[in-house]
Amino acid sequence: MIGIWYLAIWLFNIPRYLLPMPHAIIQEGIAKWDYLSHGTLLTFSSALAGFALAGVIGIVAATIMSQSRLLEKSLYPYAIVLQTIPVVAIAPMVVVWMGTGRQTIAVIAFIVAFFPIISNTTLGLTSTDHNLINLLELYSASRLQLLLKLKIPYAIPYIIGGLRISAGLAVIGAIVGEFVAGMGGRAGGLGYQIAESATMVQTTYLFAAAFAACGMGLLVFFTVNAASHFLLRNWHESSVRREN
Amino acid sequence: MTAVIQEAPPVELTDVAKTYSNGTVAVGDFNLTVSRGEFVTIVGPSGCGKSTVLRMVAGLGKPTGGQVLVNGLDPVEARRQPKSLSYVFQDPTLMPWRRVLSNVMLPFEFTKTPKAEAEERARAALELVGLKGQERAFPRSLSGGMRMRVSIARALAPEPSLLLMDEPFGALDEITRQRLNTDLQKIYADADRNLTVCFVTHNLFEAVYLSTRVIVMGANPGRVIDVVDIDKSYPRTEEFRNSMEFVSLCDRIAKGIASDERR
Repeated sequence: MIGIWYLAIWLFNIPRYLLPMPHAIIQEGIAKWDYLSHGTLLTFSSALAGFALAGVIGIVAATIMSQSRLLEKSLYPYAIVLQTIPVVAIAPMVVVWMGTGRQTIAVIAFIVAFFPIISNTTLGLTSTDHNLINLLELYSASRLQLLLKLKIPYAIPYIIGGLRISAGLAVIGAIVGEFVAGMGGRAGGLGYQIAESATMVQTTYLFAAAFAACGMGLLVFFTVNAASHFLLRNWHESSVRREN
Repeated sequence: MTAVIQEAPPVELTDVAKTYSNGTVAVGDFNLTVSRGEFVTIVGPSGCGKSTVLRMVAGLGKPTGGQVLVNGLDPVEARRQPKSLSYVFQDPTLMPWRRVLSNVMLPFEFTKTPKAEAEERARAALELVGLKGQERAFPRSLSGGMRMRVSIARALAPEPSLLLMDEPFGALDEITRQRLNTDLQKIYADADRNLTVCFVTHNLFEAVYLSTRVIVMGANPGRVIDVVDIDKSYPRTEEFRNSMEFVSLCDRIAKGIASDERR
């Protein structure tokens, strides 16, 4: 892949300001390491906060909604609204309401990450195998016992699916939020740095920042995958090792 | 003169009917009384309502007509009593995220039984069904027959007085099914009248091999068309399966079902 990159630059004589060479990007990243890593850390912490908040609130909300048809019908529309509003529209609004600061970015990340979690968790809680429900009915299980012993463990693969999607979305949300929020300098995070280097045609640094963002997304993705493997390795089709 | 206290029969169905909201009459005018220690099998073609009847006995569904009593009580009430009834589904219905031992200990989590006692009884049940050593396995690594054994162990661990089984061996191959039949009737025999079994199947050979009494059920609507008493001692052997007596009993049931279908 990297070979093709070099080849394309040489073949088509692509200027440095459009597509820099890979080694140049790495050099740039190392040269500006302090600035780059600081920005990455800021963005990452906001994305993580937003993701964690979305996870907790999403799962709790879905669990509560699963217990009452009335609650589900009244609250779910709000979740759908949250999903359909485009992030680039809602991010400035949040900045206006909450001012500029890391908590604003975290909230924006939360908004984009929220829907997949509540949607997948709800699906998981309502898909429980009917025979297992009958089984617990025979033991005269209470609603709480049914939820804790059956519905939630059964829903874990679905929840993990939601978390996997939301992890990436939280990172994107944080970066877009920073893009729009316009917090400058060292407080800006990767999103701001990407906007800044694009404006100033510092293409090499732009790529370095983009790769850092990519790396962050990958880190989050692999972390969720590791958690998924740990939770599901013994029993779920998606994680179990088979010999044939 | 001393008063004789009449003990309620384990299962009593009186004029039981079940009609669904779309008008389908699943069961009509069904009467059955099961005495303590019997092994009663309801046999009939697919869709005749036999599973519906068994589910009503367990309280998983109410009759639209007539009355279902278990130990003289409404089934929902009866199953709250300790050592009352256990149900085995056609699917093993195990929790895949729990190990075998944890699955078998499940019933005890609803009766506030101390963990040590629950574990002891679960291990005993697993040994009874021939799965000693599999306690730490997960269901996914077991064969279909082994999973069904775990399901049966889970049903037997609380020492129920009534065991309900809904086509438990239907999804298994013939060899495994015959092996499990042999093991099941041995467990029943060893319980020495302390265990009452209600079994549902569409396999009439299985019905004859296992039971003290076979209720032959017809479809549309589901009702009793024949009652066959099988007076053969336990434990039953392969010889019984190949005997003339066995063949003639199966023949009687098969003819009953066939003539009902022709009507």
